[in-house]
Amino acid sequence: MSKLKPGEISMGTTIMAVEFDGGVVLGADSRTSSGPYIVNRVTDKLTMVNENIYCCRSGSAADTQAVADIVRYQLDQYTAQHGEPPTVKVAASLFQEICYQNRSQLMAGIIIAGWDKREGGSVYDIPLGGSLHREPFSLGGSGSTYVYGYCDKTFRRGMSKEECIEFVKNTVSLAMTRDGSSGGVVRLAVITKDGVERHIIPGNQLPEQYTG
Amino acid sequence: MDFVGIQQEFAHAPATERHTHNRWEPYVDNGGTSLAIAGADYVIVASDARQSNGFNINSRYDPKAFHLSNNAILATAGYAADAKRLVEVLEQNAQMYYHKHDRVMKTSAMAQMLSNTLYGRRFFPYYVFPILAGLDNEGKGALYCYDPVGNMERVVYQSFGSASALVQPFLDNVVGFKNQRGADPARLLERDQALKIAVDAFTGATERDIYTGDWLDIFIVDRNGVTHEKRELKHD
Amino acid sequence: MLAQAEHQQQSAAGFKFDNVKRNQLLTGKGFKQSTATKTGTTIVGLIYKDGVVLGADTRATADTIVADKNCEKIHYLAPNMYCCGAGTAADTEFTTNMVSSQIALHSLNTGREARVATAMTMLKHHLFRHQGYIGAALVLGGYDITGPHLYSIAPHGSTDKLPFVTMGSGSLAAMSMFESRWRPNMSRDEAVELVKDAIEAGIFNDLGSGSNVDICILTQGNVEYVRGYSRPNERVEKEQSYRFPRGTTEFYVTKTTETATAMDTSA
Repeated sequence: MSKLKPGEISMGTTIMAVEFDGGVVLGADSRTSSGPYIVNRVTDKLTMVNENIYCCRSGSAADTQAVADIVRYQLDQYTAQHGEPPTVKVAASLFQEICYQNRSQLMAGIIIAGWDKREGGSVYDIPLGGSLHREPFSLGGSGSTYVYGYCDKTFRRGMSKEECIEFVKNTVSLAMTRDGSSGGVVRLAVITKDGVERHIIPGNQLPEQYTG
Repeated sequence: MDFVGIQQEFAHAPATERHTHNRWEPYVDNGGTSLAIAGADYVIVASDARQSNGFNINSRYDPKAFHLSNNAILATAGYAADAKRLVEVLEQNAQMYYHKHDRVMKTSAMAQMLSNTLYGRRFFPYYVFPILAGLDNEGKGALYCYDPVGNMERVVYQSFGSASALVQPFLDNVVGFKNQRGADPARLLERDQALKIAVDAFTGATERDIYTGDWLDIFIVDRNGVTHEKRELKHD
Repeated sequence: MLAQAEHQQQSAAGFKFDNVKRNQLLTGKGFKQSTATKTGTTIVGLIYKDGVVLGADTRATADTIVADKNCEKIHYLAPNMYCCGAGTAADTEFTTNMVSSQIALHSLNTGREARVATAMTMLKHHLFRHQGYIGAALVLGGYDITGPHLYSIAPHGSTDKLPFVTMGSGSLAAMSMFESRWRPNMSRDEAVELVKDAIEAGIFNDLGSGSNVDICILTQGNVEYVRGYSRPNERVEKEQSYRFPRGTTEFYVTKTTETATAMDTSA
């Protein structure tokens, strides 16, 4: 597995996605940094790769953008050839292929989530080595280590869409305040059969929590 | 005049260790330039006052030429904190000398003491390139320059610091009359001439050296004492 | 003959990596490689009410020496696009030149004015392919059919799309101006003034940046490139002249060689 090259811009990130009956909720902070300097404080780490499929990017900004660009292109081609949108599983497999084959050169931890008519909402995780896991919910990035406990305690199967939004909002917010490499605003994407809703929670309107 | 210091240790470490193992660095090069020119009955010392670290400016006016109590001037370059400490040590010892001998230190005595002080830290040197300027026993301009571990030489003109590679050849030409056919290399400059050359050396160095600029301190030592002048340089 | 033909074919295009192995061996033995001219730079871009303003300082450095006091860092990309470059001077120059020619061909092929996003994609592909070894940090600005656009592109090939961006060693100084004074929908004069102040913050507070401010204003169907929009660092006059009398330089031998023969005009 590769390390960050000197001067490389990284997303020491907090990202997550949760599955609910009929869709998924994706969440991310918005900080991109180069060493101690914040290069972009309003980054959108939730990237569309197809109509109803998004990915959450963590690791090297350059690597994850390149991988997402390639997968988006391949999925566009898939849609044109098959006359229907790909499933989330197809998207995740394409991501895995690139992440695994190039694992020695890439610094990319990606969560893929979306809605398709076969599975409904689904969440896939591809950590650093290029393995692929389907999970009911998934966390990623440097900030995630601070909130695994909170998630394991809070998560319940069969939560409603609104409950999932609150869950993601709270988790990302908690991670952001503890992890120095995460911060800015909380960005959310809610994907259902009806399409994608995007939300932004500004840094001064985060859910109430202990801040010292 | 080679600087033999801590750096030598690194040269013997294997290449990989040199890059991966990041050791604590006790020294910082704060940039900036100093020069001095001696005349028949005066010395002129000029130093810019920018203090920097990397691409950052710590201070636009932090003087590195010091007016000592015996009317000598100590111009420095290198690590500013060490330079300041060196001046403190020198002044303390000069004070002790005064109380002990009831006499102000002569420039030559101060020059030798500075050499001893520097050599006293042979194995953890003051990272400073000093120039000591004053009048000698006959009232002539006296200039002593040093390397960080105390090697001393009396000279007629000298430049140290980040722009010394630019300034020294200029001084060699117009003060030392190098590469000038028929010029008398032993001729000493008139005071107004030397002042103009010192100023031009710094406006020129400011153009091409990123560490030289902001303000210029000029000291002139003659039989009447010391005069100080502060001039503006470019701030970019 | 064959060797010569092969050589010519090789040098047709692309980078040559013949010396990579040799240089690795040499650096391993402690040999110091020569340093390329870096434009330790301040470059910025800003979107305002009806366009984009790009700005750059004009200092180029080789280590701690100023190599060029008035270099051009805002590069032409297309009639509606310009690109500021920071980092290794040669890399910014060649990268923008190459993309500029690709864009020109693309416009000819499609019969349309190229989009800023297209240029951005070409630049990021090129930089990503070379994994950061092409040391170009860019600020790309332009006005196309979809309006004004501004991107920053880092050497490893990551891009950010923002209403105001800064890059180079002076980017922190410049960003402090933007973060304190930027507002949405600024007027042209306000935008230009803010860009000038951001670049000057870099010029005065970052040692890698200096000299003058260049500015480029891109609006719908119009470009205004102002070289030396602000010149806050003119050289002061010298105290005296350093002209030496003829014959000052020492010489030991004098030899005259006939270099041209009289032409025969009889024919």
